[in-house]
Amino acid sequence: MRTLTLEGSHQTLLPQQIFLEIENRGEPVKKIEKSRADAYFREKNTYMVIYFIIWAIVSYGVVLIAEPLSDIYFNGFPFHYFMGAQGALAVFIILLFVNAVVGDKIDKKYGIDHNKNESIGRGTTVDH
Amino acid sequence: MDTQFFVSLAMILATFALYIGIAVFNRAKGTSEFYVAGRGVPPLFNGMAIGADWMSAASFIGMAGTIMVLGYDGLAYIMGWTGGYLLLTFLLAPQLRKSGSYTVPEFIGDRFKSKTALIIAAICTMIISFTYSIGQLSGSGVVIGRLFEIDAKLGTMIGVILIAIYAAFGGMKGITWTQVAQYLVLIIAYLVPVIFMSLQITGNPLPWLSYGEIVSKLGDLDRELGLSEYFAPFEKGSKWQFLALMFTLMAGTAGLPHVIARFYTVSTMKAARWSGAWALLFIGLLYFSAPAYAAFSRFILMTQVAGSKIADLPAWTKTWVDTGLLKVADTSGNGILEWGELIIANDIVVMATPEIANLGIFVIGLVAAGAMAAALSTAGGLLIAISSAFAHDIYYRILKPTATDKQRLNVGRITIVVATLLAGIVALNPPGAITQIVAWAFALATGTFFPALVLGVWWKRSNSKGLISGLLVGLGVTLIYIFAAKYGGFTILGIIDTGAGVFGAIAAFATNIIVSLATKPPSQEIQDAVINLRYPEQMTYKDGEVYMEE
Repeated sequence: MRTLTLEGSHQTLLPQQIFLEIENRGEPVKKIEKSRADAYFREKNTYMVIYFIIWAIVSYGVVLIAEPLSDIYFNGFPFHYFMGAQGALAVFIILLFVNAVVGDKIDKKYGIDHNKNESIGRGTTVDH
Repeated sequence: MDTQFFVSLAMILATFALYIGIAVFNRAKGTSEFYVAGRGVPPLFNGMAIGADWMSAASFIGMAGTIMVLGYDGLAYIMGWTGGYLLLTFLLAPQLRKSGSYTVPEFIGDRFKSKTALIIAAICTMIISFTYSIGQLSGSGVVIGRLFEIDAKLGTMIGVILIAIYAAFGGMKGITWTQVAQYLVLIIAYLVPVIFMSLQITGNPLPWLSYGEIVSKLGDLDRELGLSEYFAPFEKGSKWQFLALMFTLMAGTAGLPHVIARFYTVSTMKAARWSGAWALLFIGLLYFSAPAYAAFSRFILMTQVAGSKIADLPAWTKTWVDTGLLKVADTSGNGILEWGELIIANDIVVMATPEIANLGIFVIGLVAAGAMAAALSTAGGLLIAISSAFAHDIYYRILKPTATDKQRLNVGRITIVVATLLAGIVALNPPGAITQIVAWAFALATGTFFPALVLGVWWKRSNSKGLISGLLVGLGVTLIYIFAAKYGGFTILGIIDTGAGVFGAIAAFATNIIVSLATKPPSQEIQDAVINLRYPEQMTYKDGEVYMEE
């Protein structure tokens, strides 16, 4: 397999390298509307921002108002302690799984085939 | 040497045999397997491996104790050491995976098209990972030392030899699969005692649901003694220190090279997302349990140990007093051990709990095997990071690009052995407490790699001059604040040395942005490459257009 060498050393990252590998694989490539690709990116980012807002509230937010929260009790715990020890962590885990599932759904909506990604993914590290 | 010794030794040796067997079975046969495990680790198992890598000897042995001693303020460690996985999984992991790099310095070198940047990043990686590994080897020495009743130093050297063998053999592939096994050992070893304690104290086998009541009871007990309540916020430090520490730990998570490297072992960006989710679930099992451990242990100590006659203290107190980790005094002269006369070191909570709760010799042996698993798994991940920074980034990418696969593998293996021996030697006389050393490693990562990578991935205008000045300024500010706070008592808003990362990160972000804007933008080629990271593998961005492979 040909590999692209720039200035005598191996490179990762660059799209030229990726295109060369696509050529090597002999797969057809089609151009898609930039606006569609932009929409993909925007959709992913919107979700990400929402996740970060929730993340910030359950951790930093709760710490900022810890004193008043300490008067409320939940399952035996003072509420600020519950959030610090269990609540925030549970939300973090849920957010990560939501991100994984929603991420897959968005990919599917834009016609991404994960099996294809997988063969590409394994290939792009061609021992370098 | 009694039955307990033999049982513990047998359990540890059995687990060692398992790890070596797995490493031999997964011998790395090429550089792709040595550095990135062949890119094919399934996300669920990768998540488990990350969990083991993350749970170090310091956390396995020390975290429950730290929470017990610090109360609510200790929870900054719980949220800080977990919340960072969102920063990593959303902002960096999938994109770095798509880039195809083997290591973080390689990504930086290619993204900024700068050999200087590559070298600085490789050196930073080696420093941070090396510092961190000193703590792990020191921790494994403590476990072996206590078990065999030999010097901890000897214990350290034994740990060193073992790790050097299986890390050099299997590379990242061997390490990853060994870590899956180590995760299973350490999670069982951590959960069994806390479940038993929950049964004993509350009658409920689910500690996570039952210990809330105990936390409140501890508050009642504290109030009776005239102390501030166990759960009272900001008793040990200011609110700002809590927030700064939490941020430093979170951002440091996303900036530690050996953690980021764990996302290179999966096949796609989607797999990287799932890896992050599984990792936090497996890590979460441990972190949900640590405060429960702390609460139960403190409860037992306050109700069954304190208040007893000093002459009648249970047998286990004597052995721990002998190690110096438990101090019993009678300053009030009344023959009774008061709560205030009992001094407990952090490390005792997890290691002594099986004895305190009378859980039997097998559980005690299991906990020892679990502590070893935690130490070895983290050390393995760190040594691979050091090895790849030297053998791949410096030797192969800079010094000898024509090196063959075989030569590169050999250099990689030799580096692991050398790095392990060096870290072991320093670990014989560690420069500070384990948790302190680890905290510094986090602060350095927050001040250097976190800003560099976030800007590198998300802001195409960031250029090599901006990156290099950002890295150096971030490093400098973090180090200065750590020394000023620790030795000079200088603090801003009550933030001490463990929260220094905040200032380093702010300085690094600002410097990177200002210098990048003041100098030439990166080439169109590089800017395209950055935009390309937005999309999954099937889509490629080039020259303003997006192409999809069918």
